[in-house]
Amino acid sequence: MQNSRKRRRGFVFLLALSAALGVPASGGAQRTLTPDFSGMWVHPYFPGIEPPAAGPGPVFNREHRATGGGNNTRFVGDYTNPILKPNAAAIVKQHGEVSSSSMTYPTPSNRCWPSGVPYIFFQPGVQVLQLPRQIVFLYLRNHEFRHVRMNESHPARVVPSWYGDSVGHYEGDTLVIDTIGIKADRPLAMVDMYGTPFSPALHVVERYKMIDYDEAQAAVARNLKENARVPDTASDLSYRGKRLQVVFTVEDEGVFTMPWSGAITYERPGMAWEENVCAENPFEFFAGKNGAVVPTAVKPDF
Amino acid sequence: MYRRRNFLLFAAVVTAASMQASAQTSPIPDFSGVWNHPAFPWFEPPAAGPGPITNLSRWAEQRPAGAAGSAGLPAGTVGISDYDQLVGDYNSPILQPWAAAVVKRFGEMSIAGTTFPNPSNQCWPHPIPFIFKQFTMQMIQQKDRITMLYSGDHEVRRVRMNGSHPSPLKPSWYGDSVGHYEGDALVIDTVGVKTDRPYAMQDLFGTPYTNKLHVVERYRLREYDDVKDALERNKKENWLFNGDVFSNHRGKFLQVQVTIEDEGVFTTPWTATMTYVPTDQLNEGVCAENPHEYYSNKDTDVPKADKPDF
Repeated sequence: MQNSRKRRRGFVFLLALSAALGVPASGGAQRTLTPDFSGMWVHPYFPGIEPPAAGPGPVFNREHRATGGGNNTRFVGDYTNPILKPNAAAIVKQHGEVSSSSMTYPTPSNRCWPSGVPYIFFQPGVQVLQLPRQIVFLYLRNHEFRHVRMNESHPARVVPSWYGDSVGHYEGDTLVIDTIGIKADRPLAMVDMYGTPFSPALHVVERYKMIDYDEAQAAVARNLKENARVPDTASDLSYRGKRLQVVFTVEDEGVFTMPWSGAITYERPGMAWEENVCAENPFEFFAGKNGAVVPTAVKPDF
Repeated sequence: MYRRRNFLLFAAVVTAASMQASAQTSPIPDFSGVWNHPAFPWFEPPAAGPGPITNLSRWAEQRPAGAAGSAGLPAGTVGISDYDQLVGDYNSPILQPWAAAVVKRFGEMSIAGTTFPNPSNQCWPHPIPFIFKQFTMQMIQQKDRITMLYSGDHEVRRVRMNGSHPSPLKPSWYGDSVGHYEGDALVIDTVGVKTDRPYAMQDLFGTPYTNKLHVVERYRLREYDDVKDALERNKKENWLFNGDVFSNHRGKFLQVQVTIEDEGVFTTPWTATMTYVPTDQLNEGVCAENPHEYYSNKDTDVPKADKPDF
């Protein structure tokens, strides 16, 4: 009896001491872990949006390469996709006709305008900065970034903006982001590289999660049927760890007959993240070389 | 026996706690949030010593806040910097003769009524230190890096913490920035800002730079009494285009002290400060949108076609 009282007293003493010194007595307080999306991620496909595992998917390229996958030198969006209302299908068809006549129609990315959402999913590289009250997405091309306010609601009156109003929260291991208010009154208003239009009713929900290698490979296999892999964003082909995937759902009753989904399954980069300045425009993609001979004047005009 | 065991346990806990305590470093200053310095065109001059190029063209007084404030008013020689007529002081002793000649030439364009092109009005990346023209900035501190976001054209600077500049160093748009903390200060050292680029100038006056450009920034959180002299110098020098958001603020300020040297351009290193107040959010600013006609005080009726060319 006396021994057990001493033991209990000794234990209580230690508990009190531990508390005073800030050392957890039980070996660690429990807390919910937010998923860790840190680091650089790349998606070496162009234009890139992957088909979902199931359900209606995005507009894809009607033009395919003989070796499989979309022909990323000639974008002819599938205007027969049942997700498109007739007005939208006509616009997609019109863009495709430009491509078919061997011209490149202007897009936000080839004209150095902000991408907006979900166009921004073409971006071949992203870095996610998870801060306590916000998330910042940094994108590789032309130093674009987006802010997401965490655990807040959209304001009652949303003023349309280039990237819209994004609010997010965690659901277990998934980051969920809801975006509205993407401004439609802007040059080159399109949700994808096929010229698919959007209206002020555009609503995008993104779900980010870390997935394992096998699940990622299934997404890659689906994607290679529609998109071409590009070499300019080298990825680490030996990486077998978990990778970041976003599945996003788009609805817009102004242009779509139904909500549809797409995915981006990221990989780890095999090279350093480099500065990219759209206005510099040094590429001659169709001639297969870097370093376009940009017209230069020998002396300034003024 | 129990006493000895309890003592040993006690000793173990104390040792563990003290090891934990000694592994902690001094607290890292928290610069999180969005910071605003709505004043044009340039730095706060230093209290003493060589300072930045200033504008020879002046307005007699502070103009009203907003675009109306820059509505083609006559330039003078006293008062605050005339943001509508940027004539860098080519007599400044910090300039080597050839650099003074470049600054003088840009000033002559301004006097002739031409707004000469610069990275900002031509939608190109802002080199360091030109990027200090960006008046709203968000600093994101992580363990091994700092990311600075700017509202104008969503520019991004990256700072590697506790690293060194690589050798050889490949010049880049924003240069190579490495940083470390010294007590309550964040120190950032930048070299390698590329010169081979359109509109290679380090300020709105067209002051050139070479590959010897070296910029050191020291960021600290300050109280009003620490910065009030710099705020006074700011008010006397620069146009507060959103009104005076500084003088009544009594919370924390973010102040950066900048030291700039370039032995290809300057006769001496020089210093300046920039003092920020907190603000709510980093607004989107898209350079290509270009909706402002500042001199006519209205938004531009950008030429539009009724139907696309193709």
